[in-house]
Amino acid sequence: MSSDRLDGDTNGIARQRPMYTESQVIMTTVKAVIPFVLTYGLFITFHGTSSPGGGFQGGALVASVVLMIAFAFGIESTREWLSNSLVVGLGTVGVAIFAGIALVPMALGENFLDYTAYYPVLGDTLGLKEYEFVKYGMEAVEIGGIAFIVSGVLMGLFFALAAGVTPPSGTASDAAEASDSDGETDVDDGETAGDTATEAGENE
Amino acid sequence: MITTARIGLIAVFVALGLFFTFVSATGVIRLPDVFSRAHTASQADTLGAGFALAAVALTIGWGPTAVKTVLLLFFIFVTNPTAAHAIARAAYEEGVEPWTRGDERR
Repeated sequence: MSSDRLDGDTNGIARQRPMYTESQVIMTTVKAVIPFVLTYGLFITFHGTSSPGGGFQGGALVASVVLMIAFAFGIESTREWLSNSLVVGLGTVGVAIFAGIALVPMALGENFLDYTAYYPVLGDTLGLKEYEFVKYGMEAVEIGGIAFIVSGVLMGLFFALAAGVTPPSGTASDAAEASDSDGETDVDDGETAGDTATEAGENE
Repeated sequence: MITTARIGLIAVFVALGLFFTFVSATGVIRLPDVFSRAHTASQADTLGAGFALAAVALTIGWGPTAVKTVLLLFFIFVTNPTAAHAIARAAYEEGVEPWTRGDERR
């Protein structure tokens, strides 16, 4: 039964889906659950250094809020609501903060990511002890770096996946482009993901 | 006396949680199509996780962790049926036809 339907799809054109209609059950649950999930994600992010959790898990939870909104209220309207530059910007700003925090100690003559290098410069201004810089430096990397990157990349990947796979005729050139940019960083992946998402969205 | 009752209640809750989780796992393996599998995965699993978490809350005793466990219980009761609803709805919109007697397993 279902294999017949699948056989009909192999001519390279995406199958026509029925118009998405919202479900009252899903919308109500998502509305009720979202504030708690967002709070829990931020909680996990902020407590990353002193208890189980961290930027990765917290960022994933924050991204899952956007995924839930998309599932409940329609993916296309969520994509319009959440501008593409915001999604890409989250990942870019995250990498910039991470690299900044990691590279400034090198400029001050210490090792990469050596938080204690901040102590002679900022110790008096912030009134912190030397060992506290290790904790708060790690916290800054977790919050400003990893959480932003993970949430941005996850949202971008979701929107790219939701836009659908490109038809077989277009995949050859796409694959060639993808293999060219293999050695690059996570942000670039997020950017390309976001770009394909908008392109596919425009095609529809 | 109270300790004995509490331990007994914990044992009963753990046993019920294990039973319902086992029913859920059996159903996911044995039932024939998406709708019935989503149904058993949500209904029996909600009860299984619910009883297990209730046993955890009883074991820990009154405190912040028990409050967190009860909150977890509440959210599982809210989200698990909704997830099953979303799965069944998506399957129906994709055109999956419900299994009827005499069909093959899918």
